[in-house]
Amino acid sequence: MLGLLKIFLRNRKAAFGLAIVVFYVVVALAAPVLTGHDPNKRVSRPHQPPSVEHVMGTTRMGRDVYTQLVWGTRTSLMVGVLAGLIVTLIGTVVGLTAAYYGGTTDETLNFATNVVLVLPQLPLLLVLAAFLGQVGPLAIAVIIGLTSWAWGARVTRAQALTLKNREFIQASQLIGEPVWRMILVEMLPNLLSIIGFNFIGSVIFTIITQATLEFLGLGDPLSVSWGTMLYNAKNASAITVGAWWEMAAPCAAIVVIGVGLSLLNFGVDEISNPRLRTLGAIGKAMKLQKKLDRERLVEKEA
Amino acid sequence: MRFVLRRLAFYLVAFLVAATFNFLIPRLMPGNPADIMLAQAQGTIPPEAREALMETFGFIDEPLHLQYLKYLGSIFTWDFGLSVKYYPTPVIDLLTRALPWTLFLTGTATVLAYALGTLFGIRAAWRRGGRFDSLVSPLALALQSVPAVVVALTALFVFAVSLNWLPTGYAYDPALEPSLGGPFVKSMLVHAVMPVLSLGLVLVGGYLVTMRNNMIGQLGEDYVHLAEAKGLSDARVRYNYAARNALLPSVTAFAISLGSVFGGSLITEVVFNYPGLGNLLYTGVIARDFPLIQGQLLIMTLAMLTANFAVDIAYVALDPRLRRA
Repeated sequence: MLGLLKIFLRNRKAAFGLAIVVFYVVVALAAPVLTGHDPNKRVSRPHQPPSVEHVMGTTRMGRDVYTQLVWGTRTSLMVGVLAGLIVTLIGTVVGLTAAYYGGTTDETLNFATNVVLVLPQLPLLLVLAAFLGQVGPLAIAVIIGLTSWAWGARVTRAQALTLKNREFIQASQLIGEPVWRMILVEMLPNLLSIIGFNFIGSVIFTIITQATLEFLGLGDPLSVSWGTMLYNAKNASAITVGAWWEMAAPCAAIVVIGVGLSLLNFGVDEISNPRLRTLGAIGKAMKLQKKLDRERLVEKEA
Repeated sequence: MRFVLRRLAFYLVAFLVAATFNFLIPRLMPGNPADIMLAQAQGTIPPEAREALMETFGFIDEPLHLQYLKYLGSIFTWDFGLSVKYYPTPVIDLLTRALPWTLFLTGTATVLAYALGTLFGIRAAWRRGGRFDSLVSPLALALQSVPAVVVALTALFVFAVSLNWLPTGYAYDPALEPSLGGPFVKSMLVHAVMPVLSLGLVLVGGYLVTMRNNMIGQLGEDYVHLAEAKGLSDARVRYNYAARNALLPSVTAFAISLGSVFGGSLITEVVFNYPGLGNLLYTGVIARDFPLIQGQLLIMTLAMLTANFAVDIAYVALDPRLRRA
């Protein structure tokens, strides 16, 4: 575990991404300590610009933007992680089953995956949310989770298929290992990087999609999250009246966690695929070599 | 040819699945959609229209499978019923009015983003770790995780409200009569700048990163070293050898990105009040205009499947191996 962390921290992208994510998690956990009152409490006059008392200003309703943002972090991260878990679970089970059993099972599952992949997802989510009425954050997490697993299933299947023909899998087949052991002990550990990639990607996707759905007015307007903050700001015409802080705070929060998570993801990618690294050390060595060559040339000429 | 036919069959089945979902969703949800809708419309619909409304939904006292068959028939005759919000305009008229705007917006934005992302990706991969790469690649990475809402809202605030350079919304100046004349086209282009650029910005990062990674993979292959050893020019090795092969997976990635193209255009249209399909869907959803929503979802699915099919055909053109199969 410590070794893994060391590898992570040696990669600059991964370390930076990890720092951002840890910061958000701490904020989400410490929300009651970081704020003094209920996020929906009216504490000031409407649309006060950022000041010492209200560091991020107040909303049209006179609520403190900072307090809402901190509590919103909690909701948004929770929804992201929950949907991410659902997506990863379905995607991994479908992908692994298809790859391991092959034949008709594979064809059926692969077909289902491809169909889900070509359906327009956001419009579908919008319609589902509309038919369900104004849905709370948990319901949003579940519907996003249940509709977004196809990409992960496809990638997991492709990777598992290449594993299936490796010698160690065939060997364990020959010695008669039970199916559950083949899948859970032999194949799964070799798929961990792709599963992790899938999980982080789904969390980003969910956070963005949740904010989008709520911004469009399909969420529960009483819950506190980045999306409902955007929705309230839009309804208060925050942009046109010049109250940019009401919009900017949740926007910045979404962008930064998105960047953090994708840095983490690209770090993981680089660690497991060394070709993608930017060759910092090798580049330096080559420059040094050129310099040495030049010096030698000068010496020779002299 | 067999490959193309097989894909075509796949899309037909996919469309049927989507249509079935579209049929089932309102029937599985709590409450009767027609009643919710009538309550929402509050008197804009005459009571005698209720019967007709129920019928356009297929809520007739018939067994489910007969309702389903009738519904499938209505798809093939393009009869999606009447809109509730814009009663009594037929849904199909609203859709055909909105479709060109969405095609214009998404088409321009995707072509721009794909061309730019691919070219920049090739360049960044070629001089990996160089100045261009270390500037552009992290930027693309960051862009990739910026949601369309944020880009559109920021553009709206900066360029329309603060600087007042561009109009805040709609596809053209409503004072002008739609025509092919100079002033109208000019107004249309000015109104398109922000939606196209913000949708393009959302997409470009992803294309760049995929192309860069594919290209780096290709640059390590033996045939590239051979081409270099033969003394071919840099440009030839870069574009005719490495990039051509790196383009294949990037075309697949393009097909997968179509979902985010439609999603992104939905948001962009709502923020800029652009009169396309996305905005129409949003209006329909807010007004709980179910005939409109259902027709809309079918059209969007059809658009997405057609786009996917076009990508498949492009793939055949790019990869000679598929032509023989």
